[in-house]
Formats: sequence, C-alpha cells, structure tokens
Amino acid sequence: MWWLISGRNTVLLTTLLLVSIAVGTGAAILAWRERPKPGALPLVALLAAQAWWSTCIVFRLQADTIPAKLQWLQLGWIGVVCVPVAWLCFALEYTGRDRYLRAPYVAALAIVPAITVVLAAFGGHDLLVVESYTTGPGDVVHFEQGGPWYAVVAGYTYLLGLFGVAAIVELVTSDAIAFRGQGITLLIGLAAPWVTNVGFLLGAFGTGGVDPTPIAFAVSGVAYLGAITRYQLLETNPAPRRRARRLVFDGMREGAIVLDTDGHVVDANGYAIDALGIPRGAVLGEPVERIVPEYDHLRDESTAGHLRLGDDDGRTYDAAVTDVTDVHDRHIGSIVTFHDVSTYVRQRQRLEVLNRILRHNIRTETNVIHGYAERFADGDASRIVQERAERIEAVGEKGRQAVELFERTRGTHTARPLAVILDECVEAVRESYPDIDVSYDRPADHIAVASVLAAVFDNLIENAATHNEGDERTVMIETRADADDVTVVIADDGPGIDAQETDVIRDGGESALRHGSGLGLWIVRWGTEIADGRTEFNDRDPTGTEVTVTVPRLDGA
Amino acid sequence: MSSQTDSPSLAWDGTRSVYSTLAALFAYGVRAKNALVYSSAYLVFIAGVEVATTMIALSLPLSPAPLVIALLTFAVYVGDRIADAEADAATSPERAAFVTRYRRLFSIGTAAAYGLAVALSILGGPTALAIALIPGAFWILYASDWLPSLGRYFSRLKEILVVNSAVVALAWAVCVVCLPLAYADRAFTPTAAVIFGYFFLDTFVNTEIPNLRDREGDAANGVSTLPVVFGVRRTRHVLYALDLCLVAGIALAFYAGVLDAAMTVGILVGLAYALCLAWFVGRTERYGRLAIAGEAKHLLVVAVVVVLGAVGF
Repeated sequence: MWWLISGRNTVLLTTLLLVSIAVGTGAAILAWRERPKPGALPLVALLAAQAWWSTCIVFRLQADTIPAKLQWLQLGWIGVVCVPVAWLCFALEYTGRDRYLRAPYVAALAIVPAITVVLAAFGGHDLLVVESYTTGPGDVVHFEQGGPWYAVVAGYTYLLGLFGVAAIVELVTSDAIAFRGQGITLLIGLAAPWVTNVGFLLGAFGTGGVDPTPIAFAVSGVAYLGAITRYQLLETNPAPRRRARRLVFDGMREGAIVLDTDGHVVDANGYAIDALGIPRGAVLGEPVERIVPEYDHLRDESTAGHLRLGDDDGRTYDAAVTDVTDVHDRHIGSIVTFHDVSTYVRQRQRLEVLNRILRHNIRTETNVIHGYAERFADGDASRIVQERAERIEAVGEKGRQAVELFERTRGTHTARPLAVILDECVEAVRESYPDIDVSYDRPADHIAVASVLAAVFDNLIENAATHNEGDERTVMIETRADADDVTVVIADDGPGIDAQETDVIRDGGESALRHGSGLGLWIVRWGTEIADGRTEFNDRDPTGTEVTVTVPRLDGA
Repeated sequence: MSSQTDSPSLAWDGTRSVYSTLAALFAYGVRAKNALVYSSAYLVFIAGVEVATTMIALSLPLSPAPLVIALLTFAVYVGDRIADAEADAATSPERAAFVTRYRRLFSIGTAAAYGLAVALSILGGPTALAIALIPGAFWILYASDWLPSLGRYFSRLKEILVVNSAVVALAWAVCVVCLPLAYADRAFTPTAAVIFGYFFLDTFVNTEIPNLRDREGDAANGVSTLPVVFGVRRTRHVLYALDLCLVAGIALAFYAGVLDAAMTVGILVGLAYALCLAWFVGRTERYGRLAIAGEAKHLLVVAVVVVLGAVGF
C-alpha cells in the first residue's frame, strides 16, 4: 500500500485534521457537561480518543525525524483502539443496556486495545504490526502498516462498531421524534469514519499512508453536536426505558410467564416464580405444561380461566394467555398472566351459603313460628309473635337482597327499563298500602338503567310508604332524564328519616355505638354505588323526606 | 389640489423619532456592556493583550498564541459563569440572570472556543497542546463525581489560603508566558522568568481583589482568602507589599540587563496604577469595578510600551 503525499496535500490534510480536532473537542466538552447522564462519559471518551488520534497524525506530519514520526504513529494507536470500545460502551449505556458495562465486561473489551498499545509501545509492531517506512522524493516519509495483529485490530474495531449499531438502530424505529433524530445522527456519526476507513483500506485515498479516518470524525463531531443541540442527545435519553419495562415486569402484582413458539418458558417475573414455588433456574427453558399443568385447558377455554399453581395450597388464579406477535403479525410466543383470586372466590362461596340460609332457613323457621303462634289461646300474644316473625322474615329478605347485590358486582351491569322497575315497585306498594296516595311520574319506556337498582327503588318506595303516618299519606315518584343520566326523586310526607340513620349511611360505616336500624338504606347506598350513581337525602318542608337517586343511563341515548 | 401638513406635529414626530433612536442605541449599549461584563468577555481581549506583552518583551515572532489564550479565557471564564450561575444568583443576581438567559448560547460558544483553541495549539507543538489542555485537566480533576477522592482533594485546594489564588496565578502565568514560547520554539530565558514572575504576582493580586467582594460568602463556605483571614485593611497592605516587591524585581531586572527600558517603564507605570487601585481597598465597596480596573492595567502597560517603542525609547 503506497501513496504519494505532496506538501500541498499535507497542508490540506493538517487543516482537515485540525477541524476534526476542534469539532471533536467541542463536542466532548458539551458531552462532559451532561454528566452523569447515561452515555455522557463514554461519548467524551469516544470524542477524546478520535481527537487524540487526529492530533497524533498532525504531530506525525509535523515531526522532522523518522524516530519522532514513529513515536507519534505508536502513540496514535491509543486513540485508534479506544474509539471502538468507547463507541460500544456509549451505545450500550445510552440505550439502557448498562448491565453489560460492569467492570469485568469492560475489562474484557479492553484486552485487544491493551495488547495493541503494549505492542506499539514496546516494539511489538515489528512482530505483529508490520510498520515500514521509506523516504521518497522531497524527503516525504511513507509508512506501510499491516500484519496479522493489524487485521485483528481492524476486525475487532468493525465488530464492536456493528454491536454498537445494533443497539442504536432501535432508536431509529422509536415513536419519539427526538429518539429517531438521535438514532439517525448517531448512525451518520459512525458511518462517516467507517466509510472513510473502508476507502482507506481499499486504497481509495492518496494520503501517503496516512489513515484519513480521523478526518471523517469531524463529520461525526458535527453529527453528535447536532444530536446534542437539536435532538437533546444525553438530555432526553432512552436509557431508563429498558430498565423501567423490566422493573414493571418484575414488580407487577400479577404473574407473567413468557413462552416461545414451542411453549418453552423463556422468562417469568418474580410474582410468577413465587406463585409457582420453583426456583427460577428450574422454570426457564421448561415446557409450560410441566410448570402450568392446566395450560392446555386454559388455551382451550378461549385463553382465559382459573388455574391452580405449584403446591396445591388452595390458591386460585384468574389467568389469561395472550399471543405475542412481531411487526409482521407473526406469532413469536405467548404470555401467560395470572393473579390471585382466592380471596374473592372464598368470599363468593360464603355469600352463596349466606344466601341459602337467608332464602330458605329463615323463611322455613318463621313459617313454623307462624303456625304455632296460631295455636296461642291469647289472641294478642299470637298477633305479636306473628308480627315479629314477619319482621324476621323481612330482615332475611333484605339480607338476601344485599347478598344478591354483592353477587352482581362481579359482572357488568345488566340494563333494564327504568319504567318496568318502577312499575313493579309502585304496584307492590299500592297493593300493600292501598290507603297511600302514590303519585308516579312514569319515565319513558326506552330509558334503561342497571337492573341492580330494582332493589334500591323497592327499598326507597317501600320505606316511604311504611314509615308514613297521618290521615293523608302521600308518596311521590318523579323522574327526569338528560343525555347521560336519569334522576329519580322519591318523596314522602312522613316523619322523615332520623339524622343518625342518614349520617351512618353517608359515612359508609357503623360502630357498636353508632349504627342504623336496618339494612334497607344500606341496600340503597350499595346498589346505587354498584350502578355508578349517587344518592342524596333531604328533608322536606314541613315534614317528610326526599331521596334523589341519579344514575347513568344504559340505553345509549 | 394640495395637501396640508401639520408642521408642529411633524416636528414633534421628528423629535420623538430621535429620542426613540437614542433610546434604542442606549439599550443596545447597555446590552453590549452587560455582555462584556457579565460574561467576562472583556477578559478575552485583556488576555490576548497580556500574551502580546510577553511576545514584545521576549521579542517573539507573531503566532496564534494571543488568539489561543483569548479562546481559552473565554471558554474557562464563561464556562465558570455557566457552572456558577445558580450560586451567583444570591450575590450577583443580574449577572446570573444574564448568563442563565443565554446559557445555551454560551455553552455551545465556550465548547467551540475550547475546541478551536486546542486545535490551534497543536500548531505550536506538544508543549503548546499541553498548555491548552491545562484548563481541561483542571475540569477533570475538580469533577468530584467520577474520581471522588481526587476531585475532593483538588476542590479543597480552593479553600486553602494563598494556595487557591496561587494555583490560578500559576496556571495563568504558565499559559501567558509559555504558550508564545512554545509557538516560537524558544527556551525559557531569564527575561521569560522575569515576565513569568510579573504575571504570577500580578494575577495573584488581581485574584484577591474580587475576594474582597465575596468575603462574607467565602467565610460562610469555609474558603480562606486574604480578606477572610486578615481583614480588608491588612489585605490592602499585603497588596501594597506585593506590588512593591514587583517594582523592586522589575527594577533589578532592568539593572541586570534582563529587561529593556521600554518594557521596564511600561510595567512600572502599570504597577504605579496598581498601587493606586490598591489604595481603594477598604475605601470603596465597588470591588467588581476595582477588579475590572485591575485587569485593564495590562492595556495601560502595552500602550506605554508601544508608544515608547514608537518614539524610539
């Protein structure tokens, strides 16, 4: 590899190298000021290394003696071999792969550069990096470099460069404009010296054996400066994204097992490992059927259902399988996610038992009391016992309504025409209390609300009738609707609800000393909440109560 | 057909236009003054003049040394202004606001200036490059985040009496004297030693003058400076003593034939001016202006030397 370099070319080469040094140093200072942001220090090292490489070439061109030129040639190797290591460190740290930058890994990366510097410093270049020179016309010195170790260094440099590109290239496909800009400018910054070096190795430049690659670093410096000033390189950096995703994956209160296309476990988060009760090492790589025996059943059940995992400790998990696809919509794996629903399942079982007791046992026992009370000789005593038995049955009925309310919280709301619900309630009250004047403003037939509100209105209307007194007793039911909500106002002219009753309901809790007298108002509150509505209690003048229930319409008006 | 004009109104409009032009010019002037003072850009020019003084004293050929020193001064001083903007908000709110407003511009400008200075210094050879890298080396040494023990050690130097100002004066004297020598590839002669001593002591004095203004803050931060340790009056006496030592040293150098007459007179005039400024220590609170006046002494020195040279002295 021989090149002729004239005096004029030397001036041009020196000028270009100085530009590269100025741009590189300036960019290094801007990067230095961004410490300790991810990637800042490796970028400083990268820019400083290229500036040093260029500096050594300038001094080599300026040197008067052959030993001095050789000395700068050897010193230049420090910059040459630091560039790829710094580039890879920057790419890894900037993209959040800093776990690969622990001291042992960086030390391993530095082995080839260290050997190169030692060989250059202690004369090893005679053995591994062949460097010869000849003085041509005009005392211009020509250098030739090559040899086995030179090839190793070149290959190593290109390899690390490629690894860095692989890390950076994901930025180019980012949704964020800033990251796309950063990715493109960084790749331009790498491509410029890369292309130049390839050209140099192929003999495309007449630079007298001087590697012009550092000159191209001026382009890199400008690209990095552009990335820093225009695309907030280092200021807005993607490093936390990878860590944050991992953090969320590992820390979420839901188990996640990642499967490949063959159904082998390739990843699992901490929750999943705890739930399985198997060491992580024994989980990864195993077929999913061995880890989650009910997996096939789960897939058959439209990819969702209940699971039992690990030691059968009675825990039940609600699970789902989600397919993972690539950008071409090809199936590349699956994620099994699951969360513990044991408490919920146990509560549901208890409610079912409670419902049976309230529905059958209390009614059966009160019927028996009723029957025996009829045999009492004392008519008053018989009547009082029968009334109390009816009250017990009524309490049981309300308890059953409450249990049914809780049952309905599991699913989505079932819509039911409001008019039908109110018709049933009004009819029942008119039948039970024929002497009460029920004024009913019937809503339009198409207005629908959550069916759970039947219990709410049943209790409110019955309450307005039951606790009414006087000769002329009235219950008024008014409705009004807008585009989103419907409001039902139930008013009476009775004595009104005791303030303690409504306060307890409003506060949402009872104590031994402060409690309501029954379940009716609780059913009103719980039912309205389940229907995503609200209830308001107001006193009427001169007497009575006005309860306003506002709930969302479910008829899609 | 004619159009009538309202002459008084026109006259008023004209006057108002003149006033608005003057007001705009005044605003530009104030802005330019702020830019020069708050960014310490005036030091850039003075630094170049100091290198020119060295080159005249040592009869060195023209070189990029003054430009390199000017760029380094801009990078270092404005870079420090950017870094200290938050801390300056309490003591110099106007300056801090100015620097904060143009932070991005200054940041890029100082980085470019330092890059250019390093590139130009390479033309002076390895020694010139090493001198240009001195500020960068200090930035790295003072940065306590990546070499905590080393950074803390060097940061503590800022707190030690005399050492803090001496380090600044030494770095400055090395740059101002050795950089033009490196470009000219000349040896460090006795004349160079005299000029080096002059710049070292003079810079030391000029470093302690701003410390008079900052003495309360320095005391609170545990930084030992002459005003903090000895008080204002004794500081004035120390500055007198240092300037008088310089007068004696310059006179001796002249009698030993190390320094020529024009340079001797120029420096002595400058030192007389410095002694006058030292008289104001403790008699004014405008130490910021006193510091600027102290730096401006180098303009007086080079002006006297040039005039004397022109008249064949």
